Amino acid sequence: MTPDTSGYAVAAYVAAVLIYGGYVVALWRRRQALARRPAPHPAGPRAVRDDS
Amino acid sequence: MEWSVTRHSSIAFNYIKYRSVIAIHRSLDSGVTNAKRTPDFLLAAGALAVLGAIVRAIWFTPIEARQGAAQKIFYVHVPSAFIALYVAFALLAVSSALYLWLRDVRLDRMAESAAEVGLVFISVTLVTGPLWGKPIWGTWWTWDARLTSTLFLWFLVLGYLLLRASHEDHATRARYSAVLGLLTAILIPFIHLTVYLFRTLHPQPIVLKPSAPSLPPEMLTTLLVSLAAYLVLFVGLLRARYRYATERDALPGGTGPA
Repeated sequence: MTPDTSGYAVAAYVAAVLIYGGYVVALWRRRQALARRPAPHPAGPRAVRDDS
Repeated sequence: MEWSVTRHSSIAFNYIKYRSVIAIHRSLDSGVTNAKRTPDFLLAAGALAVLGAIVRAIWFTPIEARQGAAQKIFYVHVPSAFIALYVAFALLAVSSALYLWLRDVRLDRMAESAAEVGLVFISVTLVTGPLWGKPIWGTWWTWDARLTSTLFLWFLVLGYLLLRASHEDHATRARYSAVLGLLTAILIPFIHLTVYLFRTLHPQPIVLKPSAPSLPPEMLTTLLVSLAAYLVLFVGLLRARYRYATERDALPGGTGPA
């Protein structure tokens, strides 16, 4: 007789969706936080003279 | 004669290096420039593909007679493990080795992205494994060679990311993490062989083995569909993570444009 182990399968799929989904959301939030930071110098950071 | 042979070898070596650098730059550039112009269609496609694979696995694949529905964990556990070990961490090793050779910051970003996305995939493997093990083996966890070495790999990759976060100097950070990334990959063949070398609770491969796969065709089809779907998700996540790293490095205080 086939045992009823569907609870474990559901838990595994829910966990996988939460981990992958959580990472997508985390990545999106990190990019949003990056967008709120000051804009880069047009010539790139290495080209900025430091006269201090 | 000695001169001509040495000179010829040097020219050939430089030519191979030149062609390799051009090919690597083109592949890295295409990922970023296209990503800047378009939204993350690839990531959306990956998410939809995985959703389709889950629907197929749950509703359109037969239930295994002895294990019951828990066997369906196979279709998320195996693709996640396969992609983490043989794609993400292999890419980490290749990018790290190429960085040590070419010192191109884009290769460092690729290694960083592959490590982080690979860590997500191996985390799914380590979470779904015990959920499958409990009803089948009667225990959530056992310290056998396969499980322990995979957990060790998880900690190594976590250490790799912590090492990256702990260094301010970009060149030093990239060099140290490239060495650690390369060393991490040495564990992958060992993890693959653990089920042959040691007596483990974890079963031997039923698909990735010299003989024919030992599972019914419907299950094999679902596994291959899942593998393709998770691969698209991996590429989408890797592209998004690489794009994030490029944008971060372009900001003041970053490594600057490559």
